[in-house]
Amino acid sequence: MNLDDELRSALRRREPSPDFTARVLARVSMAPVMAAQRPWFSRPATRWVAAMAATLLLAAGTLEYRHYQGERAKSQVLLAMHIAARKLNRAQKKVQMITHRSNS
Amino acid sequence: MKAAAWLMALGLMAGLASAQEVKWNYDKLAAKASDSVDVSLSGPLLRLATKFLSDDDEDEAKVKKLVGGLKGIYVKSFEFKKPGEYTPADLESFRAPLRGADWERIVGVHSTEDGETVEVYIKNEGKGIGGLAIIASEPKEVTLVNIVGPIDLDTLSKLGGHMGIPEVEVDKKK
Amino acid sequence: MTVLQIPERPPLKAAGLDFATLVRQHQAMVFSICWHVLHDRAVAEELAQDVFLSLHQHLATLESPEHVLFWLRRVTSNRALDVLRRRQRRPMVSLENAPEPVAVSSTGDPMLNTALRKLVAALPEKARAIVVLRYQEDLDPAEIARILAIPVGTVKSQLQRALALLREKLSRSLGEIRL
Repeated sequence: MNLDDELRSALRRREPSPDFTARVLARVSMAPVMAAQRPWFSRPATRWVAAMAATLLLAAGTLEYRHYQGERAKSQVLLAMHIAARKLNRAQKKVQMITHRSNS
Repeated sequence: MKAAAWLMALGLMAGLASAQEVKWNYDKLAAKASDSVDVSLSGPLLRLATKFLSDDDEDEAKVKKLVGGLKGIYVKSFEFKKPGEYTPADLESFRAPLRGADWERIVGVHSTEDGETVEVYIKNEGKGIGGLAIIASEPKEVTLVNIVGPIDLDTLSKLGGHMGIPEVEVDKKK
Repeated sequence: MTVLQIPERPPLKAAGLDFATLVRQHQAMVFSICWHVLHDRAVAEELAQDVFLSLHQHLATLESPEHVLFWLRRVTSNRALDVLRRRQRRPMVSLENAPEPVAVSSTGDPMLNTALRKLVAALPEKARAIVVLRYQEDLDPAEIARILAIPVGTVKSQLQRALALLREKLSRSLGEIRL
């Protein structure tokens, strides 16, 4: 195994989601408009902001754990299918070898 | 009314039983093994895993399609330091539950060259397959696979060639 | 019909490339650096968008397509490292304690790729960025040093150490389970 080659393969460039460019262009087009429309009386009360920030952090932490769980479960599914497919293929290969021998 | 309720409960239990994994006891093998791989996924965790499989990645998309309707995936692989550390009787305990009416052994091969045995069982459910069980043993390794739910064996075997699995060569001599 | 109106910016001096073309041309590179460093697709996409927003704001200062490429690599790498550092949720692990994959195949295959990406994603910040720039972008240590604004010697030693650890962890995993 050549680690350099394997790393190049593992770290090859990937495309973002298909609508990535459109979303960037949309954000670029909206950014100056959003800045201009912010009125002076929209400044939120400090306590309300702190409470919201705490809620968001908690939600973010929960989301992060769920994401970790999901990624881990995904790895396990891939591993399980890898093992099952490999054993099935071995069985098929042996059957083919036996069939080939009895036919020849 | 009471009888009807009992019958319903029995029917429900039968339904539940068919959705359960094969009741295998791994304790004896686990006690003798030097190393093991353990995958047990069902219910919400399996559904969560499916959500995380990417449609953009070819391999993951194939697996996503394969596992979409499954109720459970149970894979145990035990490695032993030396040949002979597990016995034929140890393996027999795994075959016993697969001798029920709804299980059918579709493949059973043994190689004297490498001492490898692979048995593949499917669970018949109505018109299709309701489960898969594989018992694979080598001198220093035992692998037990139980997949609960409708599994497409064709698609599973076609994972060969991807994920580093050698493809089964089709014998073209006729 | 909604029409996207992009505020006017002077086109890139040397090549006259417009912003949308630059996004399409470099989005894979920017996204991939973010993804490989952060190992979180959603965050990587968000950060990649931020980088291109910054590019739009700085476009007038960039002289050539090569300058754009250097600028993007530098800003993307540094922003990704900033996000990593701010992430208090993910505990830091030492180089020696980087988690190993469950099992890997002994042949080069997508499972090995996934395992390698996870090992890289577990490296400390700087080492991770260096490995990504080296193998995703095929940059030599001098170029990596310029992008990350660190000495070449640091890049070389960090790279050497990271590769040794990756090699060790991989060969341990390959030896564990034979399927």
